[in-house]
Amino acid sequence: MFKNYFAIAFRNFRKHRLFSLINMAGLAIGISAALVIYLIVQHELNYDRFHANRDRIYRVVSTISFPDMVMNNSGVPVPTVDASRTELTGIEDITHFITAGTMKVAVPVAGADNPVVFKKQEDIIFADNRYFNFIKYKWLAGSPVTALQAPSSIVLTSSRAHSYFGDTDAGQLIGRTILYDDSIRVTVTGVVQDLAGVTDFNFREFLSRATIETNPGLQRRWSWDSWGSINSASQMLVLLKSGVKAASIEKSLAQLRERKREKNPQAESNEKDIISNSLQPLADIHFNSKFDAFGQRQGHKPTLYGLLAVGGFLLLLGCINFVNLTTAQSSNRAKEIGIRKTMGSTVRQLMAQFLSETFLLTFAATLLSVALAPWLLHIFRDFIPPGVSFTTLNQPHVWLFLLLLVVVVTLFAGLYPAWVLTRFKPVTVLKNQAYSGTSQTRKAWLRKVLTVTQFVIAQFLLIAVLVVSKQVHYSLNKDLGYSKEAIVSTYVPWNFFSEKRDDRRFTLYNELKTLPGIERISLAGNSPASNSTSSSTFTFKNGDKKVETMVELKKADTGYFALYNMKLLAGRNLLQSDTTKEYIINETYAHVLGFKNPADAVGHSFGDDGKGFPIVGVVGDFHTKSLHEPIKPLAYSSAMNDCYQIHLALDKHQSPAEWKKTIAAVEAKFKAIFPDEDFQYDFFDQQIANFYKTEQDIARLLKWATALCVFISCLGLLGLVIYVTNARTKEIGVRKVLGASVLQLVRLISRDFLALVLVAFILVVPLAWWAMSNWLQDFAYRTSISWWIFAVTGLGMLLIAICILAARTIKAAMVNPVKSLRTE
Amino acid sequence: MLELKHIYKWVNTGNNRTFLLKDINLTINEGEFVSIMGPSGSGKSTLLNIIGMLDGFNEGEYNFMHESVHQLKEKQRSSLYKQYIGFVFQAYHLIDELTVYENIETPLLYQDIKSSERKAMVADILDRFQIVGKKDLFPTQLSGGQQQLVGIARALIARPKLLLADEPTGNLNSKQGEEIMELFSTLNKEGMTIIQVTHSEKNADYGSRVIHLLDGMIEKK
Repeated sequence: MFKNYFAIAFRNFRKHRLFSLINMAGLAIGISAALVIYLIVQHELNYDRFHANRDRIYRVVSTISFPDMVMNNSGVPVPTVDASRTELTGIEDITHFITAGTMKVAVPVAGADNPVVFKKQEDIIFADNRYFNFIKYKWLAGSPVTALQAPSSIVLTSSRAHSYFGDTDAGQLIGRTILYDDSIRVTVTGVVQDLAGVTDFNFREFLSRATIETNPGLQRRWSWDSWGSINSASQMLVLLKSGVKAASIEKSLAQLRERKREKNPQAESNEKDIISNSLQPLADIHFNSKFDAFGQRQGHKPTLYGLLAVGGFLLLLGCINFVNLTTAQSSNRAKEIGIRKTMGSTVRQLMAQFLSETFLLTFAATLLSVALAPWLLHIFRDFIPPGVSFTTLNQPHVWLFLLLLVVVVTLFAGLYPAWVLTRFKPVTVLKNQAYSGTSQTRKAWLRKVLTVTQFVIAQFLLIAVLVVSKQVHYSLNKDLGYSKEAIVSTYVPWNFFSEKRDDRRFTLYNELKTLPGIERISLAGNSPASNSTSSSTFTFKNGDKKVETMVELKKADTGYFALYNMKLLAGRNLLQSDTTKEYIINETYAHVLGFKNPADAVGHSFGDDGKGFPIVGVVGDFHTKSLHEPIKPLAYSSAMNDCYQIHLALDKHQSPAEWKKTIAAVEAKFKAIFPDEDFQYDFFDQQIANFYKTEQDIARLLKWATALCVFISCLGLLGLVIYVTNARTKEIGVRKVLGASVLQLVRLISRDFLALVLVAFILVVPLAWWAMSNWLQDFAYRTSISWWIFAVTGLGMLLIAICILAARTIKAAMVNPVKSLRTE
Repeated sequence: MLELKHIYKWVNTGNNRTFLLKDINLTINEGEFVSIMGPSGSGKSTLLNIIGMLDGFNEGEYNFMHESVHQLKEKQRSSLYKQYIGFVFQAYHLIDELTVYENIETPLLYQDIKSSERKAMVADILDRFQIVGKKDLFPTQLSGGQQQLVGIARALIARPKLLLADEPTGNLNSKQGEEIMELFSTLNKEGMTIIQVTHSEKNADYGSRVIHLLDGMIEKK
C-alpha cells in the first residue's frame, strides 16, 4: 500500500517539478533554520545540567547599593565564607574559590636548565577540597578528600597535565612541581579528567586555597579579612539542605553581615550597610549578565527567544507555502481522488496517502536541511556557541528532534490539504466540475489569509531590519564627543605585586614620541569609551548644599584631550602629576553639582569628606559607554602612577597599510623594552563598534531571517500565480478573443495579489511601529522611526511582488487564445 | 440483485426545481446485461451514478443485494460498492501517474488483499486481456482502446458482481468499440451482471434489455 503511495508521490513530484521544488525549498529553509536554532538553544540550555544536587546548589553573590546606582558583583567578601560555615544553619556544604585570572606558569623540565614557560594561562582557581563535593570529577590520581588540603598543592585536569607534562601517566605526575607567577611553587597532588558536559566551570588548574592562607601577599590581594570589599574573584557556592528556601538563607546572611560588620572596627557602624548578599541558582549563572560566569561567555535568553521566534516563523512560512500550493493544486489531483474513491478507497486511506506524500517531501527537505546545516552554521556563526559545530549533529537527541520535526511539519503542512483533497465528491470530479462551485471560493479565502500572514511576517522583519540597522548606523556615526578614527591604544604591562617602581613605560612613551606616522601620543588611563570603569562616591559641598554623587574616574595626561579631540568648555588642561591633585569634570557633573554655566564650576573642590581636590576644567559631554546608557558624572585626573595605556593618533591621511607599518614599528620598540610580553593593540573605532556587537548581531540575524522570509513568501506567491494563471487559462483565452489587451489581462490577474500585499502592509505598520518603538526604548540615545522605513518596506515588497507576478502573468496573457481554448 | 423504487432526484435553481430523475422504478436481476439509452441530458449518467452509489438521490428507495442503500452511511455504502461493483468510464479515468500494472492493482489495495495474492490476480487478468507486454507502460503511452481495456481489467480485478459502464466505447473507434462489446458479452455469459449507458443502438443490441430514458423518466420497458 505505502509502496503504491510513495510511487505515485515520486511520480507526482517529477511531474510537478517546480511546485515540488518550491514546496521543498520553503520547507528546507524552515527546517534548516529550526535545526540550527535547536542546536544553539539546546546547547545553551544544557549548561551545567549534569551536576548532582544541581537544584540545591547556589552561588552567593553581592549587590552594592550606592545612592544613585546599584552595582552587582558575583563575588562575596572573603570572611563571609568562614562565618557562614560556623554560624548559618540550613546549609549542607560550602565551598569558596578564587578565580586567579591569568598567571605565568613555569614547568621545570628534568635535565634542562630553563623551565618551559606558559606566559598567560587561564582557568586557574584557588579551591578547597569541598569544591569537589560540588563539581564531581573522575580522579585519575590523588584523592578529592586530601588533594587540596595542604598549602602549595595543585590538582590538574588531564588536558592541562598533558600540555605541561606531555603523555606522562597521571600517577607519575604526583609530586612534580610547577611555579606560578615566579613566586608560588606548588606540588601536583592530583589529576582529574576534564568535565565532559557543557559547563561554565571550565577550570583546569586547582591550586589549594590553603596556599593563600599562608601567603600574606595573596591575602592582601583578595582582601582576605575585609567585610567591606568585594572582589568578583572570590566565589562562594553553597549546597542547601533539602527543603531549605534560598530566601531564608539570604535573610540569615544579611543578619550575619550585620553582626560581623559591627565587630569590624574599620566599618562605620552608624552607616547603613550598602552590601547585601543573595543566592543565585546554579542554572542562572550561565544566563544572568548582572553577575559574570567566571569570565566565561554567557548565554543571552532574549536572543535565544528571538532565535526561537525566527525558527518558528521560517518553519511556519514553509508550512504555509505548502498548504497554499497544495490546496491550490488540488484540482490536479481531483481526478485521481475521484477514481480512487470509486475504486473503494476510504477517506482515511486517502488521508494516509496524502500525508505520506507530505511526509516524503518533508523528509527530503530534512535531508536537504542536514546538508545545508554547515552553511547555516556558518551564517549564524556569531550566535553559535563555540561548542556547537557540524559534528554535534550526529547525536541521538538531534536525530530525535529531526524526526519529531518531520512528523510535526508533516501534520502541520499536510493535514489541511489532505482534508481538502479527500472531500472531493467523486461524481463532480469525474464530470470535471472540480473548479466550479462555491467550495473553490472558500478555499481561496484561506489561501488569501495565509498569504497575507506570510507577507505580514516578511514585512515586519523587513521593517525590523531597517530600524535596527538605522540605530546601529546612528550609534556608530553620532558625534560622541571625541574623535575615534585612526586612534590605536595598547596596554603597557604592569605588576601589582611588585613593590619596585617600574618606569619602563615612560621610556617607551618617549621613544614612540619621535616615531614618524604618529601625530599625537598620550600615556594615560582608559580611552574615553571603555568597558572597564572605576567609580567612586564623591561629596561636593557648596555653602550648606551637599551633593553626593557616583562619579566615574578616568586618568589622563596633558596630551590626552588633544589626542581625542575633546572640547574643554572652561578652565585649563590638567597638569602632569604622579597622583591625583586636580580634576577636570564633564559637563553633566557640572550640571549635577548645580552649575548652569560650566565655567562656574572651575575653582570648586570635591572628593572624599575632608580631602578634596579642585576642579580646574570642564570638558564637553561625551559617551563613555554605548548609547544604551545616558551620560553620567565623570572626572578626569592626572595620576601617572595609574597610567598604563598608551594612546596613539596615527596620521589620518595615511592608508591602513601605512598604519600597519607604523604599528609594526611601535611593536619593535615595545619588544625592545618588554621582551617577554606580547604586544596587543586595538583601534578605538573598533572598540566602540564592539559596544554594538549585540545590535550588529541582531541586525545580521534579522537580515538573514528577513531574506529567507521574503524568499519563502515570494516562492509562495510565485506558486499561487502559476496556479491562478493555469486555472484561468480559459478565462484569459475568452477575454482575449473578446479583445482584451495583454496589459489589461496582466492587471486583471495581478490586482488580487497586489491587494493581498497591501493588506499585509496595512496590518504590519502599526504592529511593527509598536514593536520597534519598544525596542528603541532600550537606548538612551536613539534614532527615530522615519516614515521612509515604512515607505521603503511597502514599495519594496510591492515591487518584488509585481516582478514575480509580471514574469508569470505576461506569459499567460501572451498565449494565443486559439491554443488555450482548444485544449479545454 | 437491485431494486429502485420511486427514485427522484432534483436540483433547485432559484425558485425552480429541475428534475433530473422522476419516479424511476427499476429491478435488475443477476446475470442481466442492461443498456440505458436516451438523448443527452435525459439522466442516464445520473441514474448510473445512483446505481453505483457515487451519487445520492432526494427521494425513493434503493435496495442492493438485500441492503437498503438509502439508509446506509457513507462508509458502509463505500464498503458495499467496493465489494460488489466495478466501474468503467467513457474517459477511461486511469491514474496517469501509475503504470498499467499499478492501475489494475489499485482496487485490491483498498480491499486489504495480500501482496502475493495481488500479484497473482493482476498477472491473471493481464494474461486474460493479453496486455502482459504493456504492464509497465503509463496510460498516456497507450491507445484509447488499450486504455479502455486496462480500465475494464481494473474494474474486473476485484471480481465484482456488477459492472457499471458509462459509455465505455464513446471515445473509441468502431473496431475498438466492437472488441470491447464482444468482451462485455463474453463476461455476461460468464455470469457478470452489466449495466451500460450508451448512445449506440448497435451496442445496446449486445445487451439483454434496453431502458429508454427521456427527461428523467423511463419511457418504456
